[in-house]
Amino acid sequence: MRLLSSLLLLAGAAAAQAPSGLSLLPGDVSLRGPRAYQTLVVEATYADGHHKDVTGAAKLVSANPKVAALDGPVVRPAGDGETTVTATLGAAKATVRVRVTGSAQIAAPTFRNHVLPVMTKVGCNSGSCHGALAGKNGFKLTLRGYDPDTDYQVLTREGIGRRVSLVEPAQSLMLLKPTLAVPHGGGRRFDPRSPEYNILVDWIASGAPPPSDADTRIQGVDIYPASAWLEPGAEQQVLVRARYSDGHTEDVTRWVKFSSTDAGVASVDDFGKVKMLGSGEAAITVWYQSQVGFARLGVPYPDRIAAEVFRSSPRHNFIDDLVLRKLEALRIQPSGQAGDYAFIRRAFLDAMGVLPTPEEVERFAADPDPGKRAKLVEEILTREEFVDYWAYKWSDLLLVSSRRLRSNAMWSYYNWIRASVASNKPWDQFARDILVSSGNSRENGALNYFVLHKNPIELSENVTKAFLGLGITCARCHNHPLEKWTQRDYYQMANLFSRISLKNGAEAGDTIVYSSPTGEVILPRLGKPLAPRPLDGKPLDFNDPKDRRRHLAEWLASAENPYFARSLVNRVWQNFLGRGLVEPADDVRATNPASNEELFAALTKDFTDHNFDVKRLIRAIMNSAAYQRSSATTAANEKDEKYYSHYILKRLPAEVILDSIAQVTRVATRFEGYPAGTRALQLPDSQVNSYFLTVFGRPPRTLSDSAERQHEPTITQALHVINGETLNQMLSSKDGTIEMFLKLGLSDGKALEHLYLAAFSRPPTAQERADILAALAEARVATAKDPLEKEPRRKPLEDLMWAMLTGKEFLFNH
Amino acid sequence: MIRLDADKAVHFCDGLTRRDFLHAGSLAYLGLSLPSLLGLKALGAVNNKKDVNCIMLFLVGGPSQLDTWDMKPNAPAEIRGPYKPIKTNAAGVEICEVFPRMAKQADKFALVRTLYHTAAAVHDTGHQMMQTGRLFQGGIEYPHIGCVLSKLKGPKSDTPAHVLLPRPIGNTGGNMPHGQTAGFLGKIYDPFVLNADPSEPNFQVPDMLPPDYMSALRVDRRRDWRGLVDKSVKQFESNPEAKLLDSTFQQAYTLMSSAKAREAFDLNKEPEASRSRYGKNRFGQSCLLARRLIEAGVRFVTVNMFETVFDEITWDIHGSSPFSPISCYRDLVGPMFDAAYASLLEDLDQRGLLQETLVVAMGEFGRTPKVNPAGGRDHWPQCWSMSFAGGGVKGGQVVGESDEIGGAPKSRPVSPAEVAATIYHSLGISLETELPGSQGRPIRLVDHGVEPIHELFT
Repeated sequence: MRLLSSLLLLAGAAAAQAPSGLSLLPGDVSLRGPRAYQTLVVEATYADGHHKDVTGAAKLVSANPKVAALDGPVVRPAGDGETTVTATLGAAKATVRVRVTGSAQIAAPTFRNHVLPVMTKVGCNSGSCHGALAGKNGFKLTLRGYDPDTDYQVLTREGIGRRVSLVEPAQSLMLLKPTLAVPHGGGRRFDPRSPEYNILVDWIASGAPPPSDADTRIQGVDIYPASAWLEPGAEQQVLVRARYSDGHTEDVTRWVKFSSTDAGVASVDDFGKVKMLGSGEAAITVWYQSQVGFARLGVPYPDRIAAEVFRSSPRHNFIDDLVLRKLEALRIQPSGQAGDYAFIRRAFLDAMGVLPTPEEVERFAADPDPGKRAKLVEEILTREEFVDYWAYKWSDLLLVSSRRLRSNAMWSYYNWIRASVASNKPWDQFARDILVSSGNSRENGALNYFVLHKNPIELSENVTKAFLGLGITCARCHNHPLEKWTQRDYYQMANLFSRISLKNGAEAGDTIVYSSPTGEVILPRLGKPLAPRPLDGKPLDFNDPKDRRRHLAEWLASAENPYFARSLVNRVWQNFLGRGLVEPADDVRATNPASNEELFAALTKDFTDHNFDVKRLIRAIMNSAAYQRSSATTAANEKDEKYYSHYILKRLPAEVILDSIAQVTRVATRFEGYPAGTRALQLPDSQVNSYFLTVFGRPPRTLSDSAERQHEPTITQALHVINGETLNQMLSSKDGTIEMFLKLGLSDGKALEHLYLAAFSRPPTAQERADILAALAEARVATAKDPLEKEPRRKPLEDLMWAMLTGKEFLFNH
Repeated sequence: MIRLDADKAVHFCDGLTRRDFLHAGSLAYLGLSLPSLLGLKALGAVNNKKDVNCIMLFLVGGPSQLDTWDMKPNAPAEIRGPYKPIKTNAAGVEICEVFPRMAKQADKFALVRTLYHTAAAVHDTGHQMMQTGRLFQGGIEYPHIGCVLSKLKGPKSDTPAHVLLPRPIGNTGGNMPHGQTAGFLGKIYDPFVLNADPSEPNFQVPDMLPPDYMSALRVDRRRDWRGLVDKSVKQFESNPEAKLLDSTFQQAYTLMSSAKAREAFDLNKEPEASRSRYGKNRFGQSCLLARRLIEAGVRFVTVNMFETVFDEITWDIHGSSPFSPISCYRDLVGPMFDAAYASLLEDLDQRGLLQETLVVAMGEFGRTPKVNPAGGRDHWPQCWSMSFAGGGVKGGQVVGESDEIGGAPKSRPVSPAEVAATIYHSLGISLETELPGSQGRPIRLVDHGVEPIHELFT
């Protein structure tokens, strides 16, 4: 109801509001050739910062219709020259220049840049039709046109020459079928005299010229508006313009594949018309001839929040400026800061996976120093548990386990990782040390990476996923259907790994890794190798004596490679804030934009400017007010799960839960084959037998994929802590916390105090104290009735601990 | 309070027996409140006249239509493959020779031979579409049909509404969701996952009952105190994952106190001969367990025949490692399916349960008509087969005819959305029903215009 009335209010307000500014998208227009055209969008800006597509309401006029003619909102060439087009709405005006060239020249559509994109858009070469592995009905095209030369041959030379008829273009099968002039399994794809039809028929009529190396090539696409804040329910036309190598541009809106990253916020149709369905921000992504891009469109939440709220919200560093700026634009109120008890527990768990001891909690709470939080962060960064936690995290990424590595190899792998974390090795150095090294895997544990991923294809895919946050598997067989990666990119990347050789060392578990002088990865379709090249970096000549892995390593941390730093920054950010700037955390591709791109860019720049220093990044995050925000929501921000208006509750990882239970009960978990007292976070092997860890979501480390670790509660987990051995044995152990209470003769009140500080990192409230002490007393009376019961206090205390260790306050970070 | 009806009387140190002491709880523990159930009934979304249950057998890997249920003996050798068709006890219906027992049950099942989809030919997309009726796009995760049933009808008794055996589908090569969860409906409607292998010698549901030294009194006390302690953090109240945690505990207690559930999961109660009939393997015993769970009041059981296609013998017969060879249909996978499926239909029929239990056997795609150089077949979503039995389905018929090489539907193509519509129809759920999607957007069970496969029911 509230949303509806706000909507009416806004709608009413907007109707009365005059725009404070107008712009004509896409800006200046350049039309080359008689077939060129450009759709225009008139975008109004209002005093409150929102935008609106007012193309329908505005008046569009061409200053010289003999140069540029207007056909509704579409500009078409009339004659060579320069003129302007002006849009008017009320008192607001916007003007763009229009330049027309070559209007008298015959310009036939080209195969590569017009015919194939049209066929891709209408679906001829999609995976479910003629782009399928075996084609359809004897007609096979390359998937989404990734090989124009082959497609040209198929269209003009095969099919007994009926597909393209130069003599009678309209009788070409490639026109008769999709217009359903003859039966077509794929149905009607377009009508005669449609723009699709005209492009195809004109190409055929011009002699069906083939694609050639001399063709101009697409270089990129630009999307308009790049970003906009709209009203609820608004409709917005998105325009896409392609840039070519010969400098000309074309309006390709009609031929682009559109999709929305959040269908609950915005939907988009096949022609780029967007409808805003909810509050928040969505990206409308665009794919055209393997070029990708996106527009960010958003609708602020309906609440009106005083600017003072944002101005006075705490800002500790650059992170806060950028988080608050986004919250203000979206009209999401930030929650207040978390209290000291909440902060120390949170910081310990997120950075180290351990709980603070009761002494540490009390000391921190009592410390009057206003800078104590920053001091605590510094202390955390020096602790051994910090090293354990991050060594474990990178072990997840690098798949450290005994599944495919012998025990000594696994240990050398783990120890190398741990030493790198302990010395705060710069992340680029870390990656280089893995990727570029040669030698004995026992001496250099990093080399076990090549034992796990043995061939160039596997290596290429794992490196891109683990270090670049990109999934390129699709491009193995054809151009990636959603991204800009082509099959050529895929094989060029793989060819960087074609000269790594392995052989067994002297002892079992030793592997010698070395670079060999020869070796290529063949692209099956072409039957030949392609020059090694890291994704969109510079290629290396085949005969270049430089080590190919070194070439990769140089690109990895270079300014030309945005993925490496972003991927790491996002993983670390997600560890603390609960939600990556990009989600899933290891999916930083171009068409999956960040929820706060400015923040992401700033964090990444700080990271790369300071030598890829991971600790520095962690410090900045932990010190920010955004990280220190309370998890308590307000009515105004409880729906926000993306923009960090409050700390996001997250269930603790399996290992942290098990270790924390051990810490509170003072009963260490026994892991088979490991010394007593080893914590779960110190295990180098994800295969170590532990039903608890498995059931609570420990990743098996078979894939470098963040989805392997599960954090959702399940009935199986509940059954295990209610009835299973793990927790029950720790609670009933004859050593441990309860034994300590009994030996020390602690009263129920003191015991309760200790347990709260140990498990929840805070003292109990007066109400809690009263309720629980009463319950304990009652239970003790009941237990004491049994003459056989030797320790009437023990069992109730066990039950209290059980209740605390299985509750939300314990199992969640909040 | 929970009721633990143990077979033997267990005496505790406090002198009380379990049976004496406790009794079962209220509707709240079942995860569905009475007002919302009545509300759904009023909407007509829930049809109480029919209470049809479902067993979904998911044949992970993608069975080859040409080597199972859509034989083409007259096609050239490189198409028809190594197997021959055999007659069934339904006139005119022939299936592969690797399914001799199934052939004797053809009067009970109907085959659909013209399934197809137009999304990418990878496992995940098929998993999504066959189990939810839709391809996941725009960030929306649609719910598994069993989870929808769980939300709309709630549990029938104190057993979970939807159970998944034995484990979820894991790595099949992509990184997309498989459609085995409740998606946007919320994890509260996720299936209860067994996470154990029912063919193992000492199979039991892990941690189903408290240890012997734990008295019922204490189990109750712990449960009460957990609620007492956990009231403090206010923001948990609106957090879905936190609510889910509590709901999993509620459901766990319900399961524990259900004698019916305990019995159902206890395969030792099943005669040895019966266990052998189903096949002493993970799939066979899971099918047997599925039958027992349906008998105990579970509404929907999903059985994953396999959990991965890598380094394991499955339906995914690419012909070279780490995938399976075409011969495995004769040597392992075929007989495994044959024994379990036939036994399931026999048993349900004998017990008079077939009419009210829909059994579907489906894979995520078919396979290439032309045998590949490795002697296997690759992914082929353009045409494949599945079977429907029970739940009002008329057996002994075939819906849809594929072309001469089993490569494309010749008549009556059927989409995964129609399969979903068919299952909902059999379960007595109106296709007009709308589910609450994210940001409250109503999402229809299936898109407007999608119809069930009516031929199956007439």
